[in-house]
Amino acid sequence: MRVLVLGWEFPPAKTGGLGTHCYELVRNLGRKGISVLLLIPKKSEDARCNLQNVEIVEVGSLLSNPYNPKGSTTFERGYGWNFFDEVKAFNEECVALASTGEFDIIHCHDWMTIAAGQELRKRTGKPLVFTIHSTEYDRTANLYPFKNIIDVEKRGIDEADLVITVSKNMKEQLIERYEADEEKVTVIYNGVDYLRFPGITEKDHRNIVLFLGRLTNQKGPDFFLHAAAKVLQKESDVLFAVSGQGEKLPELIGEAIKIGIMDHVVFTGYLSEEELLRAYEMADVYVMPSVAEPFGITALEAIASGTPTIVSKKAGVSEKINHCFKVDYWDTYDIANKIICVLRYHVLRECMRRNSLKELEDLGWDTVAEQTIEAYRRA
Amino acid sequence: MASVCFYFQVHQPKRLNKFTVFSDNVPYFDDDKNRKYLERAAMKCYLPTNAVLLDLIDDVGEEFRFAFSLTGVFIEQCEKYSSEVLESLKQLSDTGNVEILSETYYHSLAALFSLEEFEKQTILHKNMIRDLFNQRPKVFRNTEAMYSNEIAKTIERLGYDGIITEGHESILGWRSPNYLYRPEGCKRIGALLRNYKLSDDIAFRFSAARWGDYPLTADKYAKWLSACEGDCINIFLDYETFGEHQWKETGIFEFLEALPYEILRYGNLDFKTPSDIIESYKAVGVIDVPETISWADIQRDTSAWLENDMQRFAFEQLAKLEKSVKSNHEFLHTWRLLQTSDHFYYMCTKWFEDGDVHKYFNPYDSPYDAFINYMNILQDLKRRLAVKSKRIDF
Repeated sequence: MRVLVLGWEFPPAKTGGLGTHCYELVRNLGRKGISVLLLIPKKSEDARCNLQNVEIVEVGSLLSNPYNPKGSTTFERGYGWNFFDEVKAFNEECVALASTGEFDIIHCHDWMTIAAGQELRKRTGKPLVFTIHSTEYDRTANLYPFKNIIDVEKRGIDEADLVITVSKNMKEQLIERYEADEEKVTVIYNGVDYLRFPGITEKDHRNIVLFLGRLTNQKGPDFFLHAAAKVLQKESDVLFAVSGQGEKLPELIGEAIKIGIMDHVVFTGYLSEEELLRAYEMADVYVMPSVAEPFGITALEAIASGTPTIVSKKAGVSEKINHCFKVDYWDTYDIANKIICVLRYHVLRECMRRNSLKELEDLGWDTVAEQTIEAYRRA
Repeated sequence: MASVCFYFQVHQPKRLNKFTVFSDNVPYFDDDKNRKYLERAAMKCYLPTNAVLLDLIDDVGEEFRFAFSLTGVFIEQCEKYSSEVLESLKQLSDTGNVEILSETYYHSLAALFSLEEFEKQTILHKNMIRDLFNQRPKVFRNTEAMYSNEIAKTIERLGYDGIITEGHESILGWRSPNYLYRPEGCKRIGALLRNYKLSDDIAFRFSAARWGDYPLTADKYAKWLSACEGDCINIFLDYETFGEHQWKETGIFEFLEALPYEILRYGNLDFKTPSDIIESYKAVGVIDVPETISWADIQRDTSAWLENDMQRFAFEQLAKLEKSVKSNHEFLHTWRLLQTSDHFYYMCTKWFEDGDVHKYFNPYDSPYDAFINYMNILQDLKRRLAVKSKRIDF
C-alpha cells in the first residue's frame, strides 16, 4: 500500500499536535511496510527524514515573501494577511506534484491541506481520508471563528471518504456543527512515544507547576494564572512556569503583574526539545486548563515524564486517562485546590504518577498506525 | 436437616461535602446528598422490602425467621430523613422473628487500628439497638465482615455468642461453609460463615442474563438449598440487593415473596437466625485466620480500603487524632463518622479502570478526588483541634 500524506507541520520545525502526529504516523506506517509519500511546506530548517519507507518532499512557496527580501521560498510567515494565499499556493503545488496518482490513498491533515486532497481525489479517483486535529471553533476557543475556514472544513468533511478525529468529543462536534455523517467518522486517539521520556524519576520537589502550550485563548493560560493566584493565597513557596509562545504573551505578562503574582511566575518562551523534557521532569504537577482541546498530547508527555497531571474535562485525553485530575477549565478555585493537594501530599503524587504511567502502555503510536491502516482499508 | 439463615446488612454512609483548601465553615457532611440517597434507597428498597418481609411473617408465621444488621450511621439518617423506615424496622423487630446483630456504630475500620476504640463503638451500637428495638444483640458482624483471630477473641471477651464472616476457601480449604466453626483461640463463640456462592447468586447474578442459571426463580433456588449438605446455609446480603442493586423490574421482589414458601415445601429445610444456629448446632472445626479477611472483592482482604498509599496515609492520619479527639469530646462523633469504611473505599484505585461495583454510589470522579476531599476535611478537623500542624511534606 502506498499513501500520499499531506501535512502542514513536521519536526524539527516548531510544531503542535498535528506535527507530532504526522511525524509519528508516517514513521510507524513506514515501519509496518506501508510506503509513504509526504508533502509538507518547506521551512527554513530541513525536515527530519531518514525514515524507513517514507519519502518527504518539501514544497517550496511560489509567493514572494515581503518579510524576507532575499527571496526565500519558505512557508513560515505564520497566520496573518496572505496566509490564505500561502495555503492556496501550497495546495496547488501539491496537486501538480501528485496528480500522476502513484498511490492508493490520500490522507490530509487539517483544513490547510484538504483542498489539494479533494482535487486529487477528483483527478485520480483514489479514496480520501481526512484527519481533523482541531476545528476552527477549537482553535479560536469559539471566539470569532473564521467563516471561510469553517466552510473549507465542512467541504472537506463532506467529500472525504473517511474522517478521523482524535477524540469522541471531537467526533460529536463534527456531527453537531458540521453535520458530519456519523458512520464516516472514526476516532483514533493520539499516542505518545513514552520511551522518549524518563518515566518515574526522583524529583527535587521544588513546588513547580507547569503550563505548556501555545499562548492562545484555546489553551486557557489566563485560567492558569488565576488558579496560580489562588494557590498563592494558601501556599507561598510555589513557582508557576508558563511555557510556550503565542499572541497572548504580552497580555498574560500584564495580567500576572496586575494580579500581583509576577514574582512567582516564569514565562519561559519557546522551549527546545531538550528543555521541554527537562521542564516536564522538573515540574511537580502539569496543568492543562484548555478551553478547547481535541486531544492534548502534552498531557501524555507529562505523564510519561512521571509528572502528576491536571487536565481540562474538555480535553480529548481525559477520555483516555483515568489516573489524573479532571477539571472545569473555568473553575480556578477547583484547579488551585487540586494543585495545592498534589503539592502537599506525597502519597497522592506517587499514586497518581505511577498509575497514570501504566495507562500509557496502550497508547503507543504503533497502535495509532495500526488503527490508521485499518481506516485506510475501510476508506 | 439444614437451616437457612438469612441476614441483611443495612448501611448508608454519611457522605462528605465538597471540601477544598478554601472551604471555611462548610459542614463536613453533605446533608442534601445524604437525604437524597437515603430517600431514594427508602423508596426503592427499604420500604417495599420491609413491607414484603412483614407480610411474609404475618402469613408464614413463626417459621420465617431472619436477621438484620443496622449501622448506627444508617439509623441516625433514618431518624433525620425517614422515620417511616425506622418505624417499619421496629415493627419487624417486634414480631420476635427478627434478630438484630451487633456491629460498630460507625461501620468503621476501628478494629484495624484500636481495639479500645472498636470496643467503644460496639457498645455504642449495642446501646442504640437496645434503646430502639429492645433487643440485646448476641452475634457480632464486623464492618464488611472483616475478621481475624484477634477480632474473634475480642468478640468473645465482650460476651457475644457468635461472629459472622466470609466462608472463603482461603480459610476453609476443602471444608464447607455450611457448618458452625470455632474461631482459633476461642472457647465459647461460634463463627457463622457466609455461603458466598449462594449469596452472590441473588446479590450479583440474579439479573445477569448471560448466567447459565438465569432466570433465577424461587423454586429453583429452594431446590438448590434443599440439595445442600451441612447444618446451616448462611445467605448474607446487602439489603439494597432488593430494589437497588437488583431493580424492581428484575422480579427480585416476586422472588423474595415466593422464597419462604418454596423453602418450606422441603421437609429438610427450615429458617433460623444466627443465634438460633448457635443454639442448635455444634462447631465442627476450627478456623484459623491470622490475617484480616473480609467479604469484599475477589481478594477477600482489606485491600479495598487500605491497599494504596493514599488510603493508608489518610487512615494513619485519622488514627493519630485519637488522643486529641478524646481529650475534646466536641469532635468525637465527627472523628468517628470519618472512620466509616466507605470514605476509604472511594479512594480505592484497584478496580478504577473497570468501573465496577466500586463506582456504585461513589460520589467522586476519581479516587484522587476522594482522597483530597477527605484530607481537606481532616486538615480542617486538625486545625480545629488546635493540633499544631505546620505544613510538612508527608
